[in-house]
Amino acid sequence: MGVITAFMRGVTRLNDFVGRWIALLIFAMFVFLLLEVGFRYLLNSPTVWTNELTQMLFGVYAVMSGGYIMAHRGHVNVDLLHSHLAPRKRAVMDIATSLVFFIFTLALLWFGIDMASESISSWESSYSAWNPPVWPVKLAIPLGTGLLVLQGLVKLLEDIAIAFDLDYYTPEESESEGEQL
Amino acid sequence: QETYTWKVQSHWPGSSSSYTDSLVRLQRVLDERTDGRLQLKLYEAGALFKSKEIFNAVSRGILEMGTISPAYAQDKVSVAGIASGLPFAFRNVWEAAYFHQNMGFEQMLRDEAAEHGVYWATDKVYPTEMVVKKPIKSWEDFTSLKIRSSGALQTFLTEAGAAASYIPGSELYSALDSGIVDGAHWGAAQGAYSMGLYEVAKYHVQPALNIAGTDAIIVSQKALDKLPEDMQKTVKDALSEQFWIRTNEYQYKERITLAKAIAEEGVEVNVLPDDVQSKLVQTAQKMWDEEGKRSENAQKALDMLKGYLAELGYL
Amino acid sequence: MSIEVLTLLFFGALLFFLLLGLPLAFVLGGVSVVFLYFTWGFDSFYMVASQIWGTMGSFTLVAIPLFVFMAMILERTGVARDLYRMMHLWCGGLRGGLALGTLGICAVFAAMVGISGAAVVAMGTIALPSMLERGYDKSMALGVINTGGGWGILIPPSILMILYALITGVSVGKMFAAGIMPGILLMVLTAIYILVRCHLQPELAPALPKEERGTWPEKLRALRAVLLPIGVVVMVLGSIIGGITTPTEAAAMGVLGSLISAAVYRQFKWDILKEAAIRTFKLTGMIMWILFAAHAFSAAYQSMGAQELIEGLMNMIPGGPWGIIIAMMVIVFLLAMVLDPVGIMLITLPVFMPIVESLGFDPIWFGILFVINMEIGYMTPPFGFNLFYLKGIVPPSITMKDIYKSIIPFVIVEIIGIGLIMVFPEIATWLPDLFF
Ligand SMILES: NC(=[NH2+])NCCC[C@H](N)C(=O)O
Ligand code: NA
Ligand code: NA
Repeated sequence: MGVITAFMRGVTRLNDFVGRWIALLIFAMFVFLLLEVGFRYLLNSPTVWTNELTQMLFGVYAVMSGGYIMAHRGHVNVDLLHSHLAPRKRAVMDIATSLVFFIFTLALLWFGIDMASESISSWESSYSAWNPPVWPVKLAIPLGTGLLVLQGLVKLLEDIAIAFDLDYYTPEESESEGEQL
Repeated sequence: QETYTWKVQSHWPGSSSSYTDSLVRLQRVLDERTDGRLQLKLYEAGALFKSKEIFNAVSRGILEMGTISPAYAQDKVSVAGIASGLPFAFRNVWEAAYFHQNMGFEQMLRDEAAEHGVYWATDKVYPTEMVVKKPIKSWEDFTSLKIRSSGALQTFLTEAGAAASYIPGSELYSALDSGIVDGAHWGAAQGAYSMGLYEVAKYHVQPALNIAGTDAIIVSQKALDKLPEDMQKTVKDALSEQFWIRTNEYQYKERITLAKAIAEEGVEVNVLPDDVQSKLVQTAQKMWDEEGKRSENAQKALDMLKGYLAELGYL
Repeated sequence: MSIEVLTLLFFGALLFFLLLGLPLAFVLGGVSVVFLYFTWGFDSFYMVASQIWGTMGSFTLVAIPLFVFMAMILERTGVARDLYRMMHLWCGGLRGGLALGTLGICAVFAAMVGISGAAVVAMGTIALPSMLERGYDKSMALGVINTGGGWGILIPPSILMILYALITGVSVGKMFAAGIMPGILLMVLTAIYILVRCHLQPELAPALPKEERGTWPEKLRALRAVLLPIGVVVMVLGSIIGGITTPTEAAAMGVLGSLISAAVYRQFKWDILKEAAIRTFKLTGMIMWILFAAHAFSAAYQSMGAQELIEGLMNMIPGGPWGIIIAMMVIVFLLAMVLDPVGIMLITLPVFMPIVESLGFDPIWFGILFVINMEIGYMTPPFGFNLFYLKGIVPPSITMKDIYKSIIPFVIVEIIGIGLIMVFPEIATWLPDLFF
């Protein structure tokens, strides 16, 4: 049982760690957009790279957020039924619906890997005027999805523990772990 | 008899003249000539796949057919960079058509695409021309411009001394209107007209920035192989016929669209002064050599092009 | 399987899993994958990955994190709080005064952004806590934000209008001009609703007690609180209108403005900025994962033949020109509850436009009805995306049910607005005819 608990903790920490760093990309996006405005408007010499770089950072930022948000219960659902159910019943229901979650995320993971490896094999670049490599951004799709799948697994393990009263996980202790956002 | 239905993802939005004139035409022709055995199911830009993904999807056989700009296939097809247009190479549309179909450039494209399981057929060759808010009367006028551009032309315009930046199509109208940029290219007259650019930019610049096979139709080889022989031939014949019909028709429509813009929107044709033109040609020629470095094939195509242009007396 | 049956199954499955409490993003994504498997086979999943890649590359979406970040900073540094205190002092005697003020800010926000989502989240951050603190009924507060936040696509600049223009070939400039008066109409109607409702039921929006309304000097001093927000607005709007930035880049100007405000408030501190960044990340990611899945969903639905369904439906409609227009509106409204705007336009417009034009209706006017309808679809249960965005920012004490309930009267008001524009097309067409 210790292994499962450690796995769950580990994944959540990993997502937390990754999320906290990726979140800072907002500063970079802000600075680059502002730079472009400055270059174009004040110096009359727009750059070829700022907007595209911002775009690429945004892609990474968005796709890498899945696991972190899952760890912090940030993916929004309809709680009409949920809020009327006892925790145990709710856990059972979440176990059932997790099938749909895994179908989506695993399909995405599979084809995300496919897409990224194809891109890496040709060191794909964007062929814009700046022509930067785009494979790192494509690689972020399987990475981000992988983190989401892992966190989904953690959620599933939690639900199983709640539903069957297993002792590798107790809801109260971890509630305090994640900070309220 | 079996009927085949092909999913066709276009890179043209439905309002683009080519969607109807090229794609709906092809759909009708194939329906007629196969007695309804080959049905194309058309999807407007972005419906199933984004434009830059269409080549991959056709290559994987997920889509049976698609339309693209060669620029979207540059990482797979090394001569696509030349197909999407070297600036200031051809001076007339017929020259580009001859280069593609009679000198073997189309076959070079087709051979490279075949390695990815794709049958390539250029839809048409046509010019890409700029619209600007104030006329270009001197080299200073040109270098003080902020131009919305994309891909190789963006590099070219920047090298030449203008300030070219990329702005997505969805923000192009507003950018031009509010003066974030003073000029843009989106196809030529028909493209500019369909994007409403003449409402906000009244000068149509000639000559063309490039003349090239900027639209291509691609077919999945897998899907093609599944058809009976006679239908395969029908498809290929229809595609080669399409090139000539559309290249010619497009020129006609360019002319009448420009005439309409001149009559209804007060657009003026702004012919670049000779010194501006010759400076642009110089910059362009430096850029061509870069394209050649991409692969052996690209170098071969470039040499062929240069020989041809010399023959025409342009080099 | 026919597209009619598929549609029922497709949307039935969506509704089913949503009610079971699976997050919207995963419901949309999972259901798409399952249906793609049965209609197109395993390889078609590539489309899901490809749609996500496409969404990651959409430049206009970059505005979302920036505007959200701007709002977070304004909220964390106290700029937003002071703004609401000022509004309360000034219109504290008026029942529903803060709700009106919020509507006004929403309208200004709508003029700054071209997409919804960003405005809903940003306004939720700024306005919701302030209204709840002052005893506003949660339905009233939520409804105002939901309805006002959605105006971003109606009041220019609007990405949806640009898309409509691109697909149908009408002029973007005319569409923008046509959106202005309907936007004002909706604002006025909503304001009337708020005033009447709060007058009849004062408990929904308590007025400030007489003794707390403050003296004139106090009121004047409080006015300082508007200076910074106005500065931010001028930076954003000024740079769009003045041709300095594109609407997307203008979002960065908004962040700059909020950072300057933070400095003025002596709150330019790493802790505050970092916390704002993390909250922005969480909200943007929530929106983006919904969009990822929504784009996959609408591609899947289109591949199954959604357009044939619409064609079939249109052939069945009796009832003359107006019957057809109303039927179209109903279809758009229903689709807008589940699909992203690009998907809706691609599915319906190629079918609708030839009919609209052959009936002799003005495509600009129709476009405005279309956009308002989508906006209503966004805020209508069960799926409307804005409802989910709002749920992402509310405190845990507010449930989805609260949000669902809050929206009803506001939807009715907007439907009245559409009715007026249908009866008096000049509301939409007068300005574009004047300008162009
Ligand atoms: N025929 C057309 N509408 N072509 C559109 C070309 C668009 C291309 N991205 C450009 O920058 O010009
Ligand atoms: Na707007
Ligand atoms: Na929606």
